Amino acid sequence: MEVDREDGRSQNQLRPLACSRNILHRAHGSASWSQGDTKVLAAVYGPKAGTKKNENPEKACIEVIWKPKTGQIGKPEKEYEMILKRTLESVCILTVNPNTTTSIIVQVVNDDGALLPSAINAACMALVDAGIPMKHLAVAICCCVAKSGYVILDPTKLEEQQKMKAFAYLVFPNSVHSVLPEGSLRVEGEPIENGIITSVTHGIMSVDDYFYCLERGRAASVKLSDFLRRNLQQQSTDSSKAG
Amino acid sequence: MENKQSSSPASFVDSTVVPGDVVLDLSSMTSQTIKLGGGLRQDCDAISAMKAGTLRFSKPNKYWIESSQKRYVPCVEDTILGIVVDSKADNFLIDIKGPAMGFLPVLAFEGGTRRNIPKFEVGTLLYLRVVKANSGMNPELSCTDASGKAAEFGPLKDGYMFETSTGLSRKLLSSPTCPVLEALGKKLSFEIAVGLNGRVWVNAASPDTIVVVANAIMNSESLSGAQQIIMVDHLLKNIQ
Repeated sequence: MEVDREDGRSQNQLRPLACSRNILHRAHGSASWSQGDTKVLAAVYGPKAGTKKNENPEKACIEVIWKPKTGQIGKPEKEYEMILKRTLESVCILTVNPNTTTSIIVQVVNDDGALLPSAINAACMALVDAGIPMKHLAVAICCCVAKSGYVILDPTKLEEQQKMKAFAYLVFPNSVHSVLPEGSLRVEGEPIENGIITSVTHGIMSVDDYFYCLERGRAASVKLSDFLRRNLQQQSTDSSKAG
Repeated sequence: MENKQSSSPASFVDSTVVPGDVVLDLSSMTSQTIKLGGGLRQDCDAISAMKAGTLRFSKPNKYWIESSQKRYVPCVEDTILGIVVDSKADNFLIDIKGPAMGFLPVLAFEGGTRRNIPKFEVGTLLYLRVVKANSGMNPELSCTDASGKAAEFGPLKDGYMFETSTGLSRKLLSSPTCPVLEALGKKLSFEIAVGLNGRVWVNAASPDTIVVVANAIMNSESLSGAQQIIMVDHLLKNIQ
């Protein structure tokens, strides 16, 4: 079925991605991520000594602060903070630096659709920039089910408001290069790439639609993984990290 | 079924790895002892990367990931620059840009006894050696070398301290001498202390010299050897 999107993209095409690391002078790690016009800036401070009151001191603690572009901080921001915190906690190795806190501040520069996935990608790159130990990278993507039944990836704000019936934010582990003969590490018999870290859904969609979203999202996450790897390779050859 | 040869570990050495990449398969090297450095972790039979960086290998059996960060991971026998934050009965608390404060025992000085405990103000810059660095514990520091002599450790007076990344500190301490330091040393006379935790202290007779040396070092991070020499020449021409 031919799908008509305003900016001429096909169903499964992502917007142009751009990522740069180490852009903030004082932060211990920072990254800016943009997908089309959506742009998010993430800064990481830490690990610093001490954990918060109700947190387990045998593990590292992650604290997320979400700063919207305009307006006061309210419940939607707290929800984003909670989703980001849980996602990043499952990606970072928390036992390496016990009794420390790592703070991640996410600043929305422009919101043009797929905001939370962009924020997750930016936060993940900022953690890599700061050298926080991680099990693997997190790759986030937004799939939405339109009113007419087809599934599109990476919607813009216009598409989100007009066309959507339901959408899902999906976060997958990145695809991994490995020397093992059978590929990456297996968790319960399946390669890590087949797993899923986070899934946030809004609206009503059928189970079949959801599984279709997962499949399309996973395919797109491979392309995103490649982009991340190329970006890290490029910037490691001309790194500029003067304090 | 034909046994597919797994790609040898040499294929990842000296290339960029991303967190999650499995870089070594232990089941194919059963009779060797391997030493893992920073950035690698063991998951049953596979060694995977925790940080993004370049995988390095040094004969006979050491693997590590080289990357440059603004924060420091304490390692034993590193020489670092710390700043006194507080003093307790038994230790000084030192900020070393790591996940935990360092402890400097009050007696860890040459000829240190309970009667001649040094008095360091908050904010004093010290050149120290890491004695113990276990995960989860505060690292223990010392102002003497392994045999108990002072050996240049201790407070640094005057001068100027600036922060860099750990990668640049390692480059400055590498041998043969880093091109930027050599080029500066030919024309200027200055004293420098480099901490592996990303702090550098410079002292010279005049403030101009200190500023030129500090700027040259900060600029040299992303430049190659030849470019560093050109940059230093350019800076020195402007002040003379």
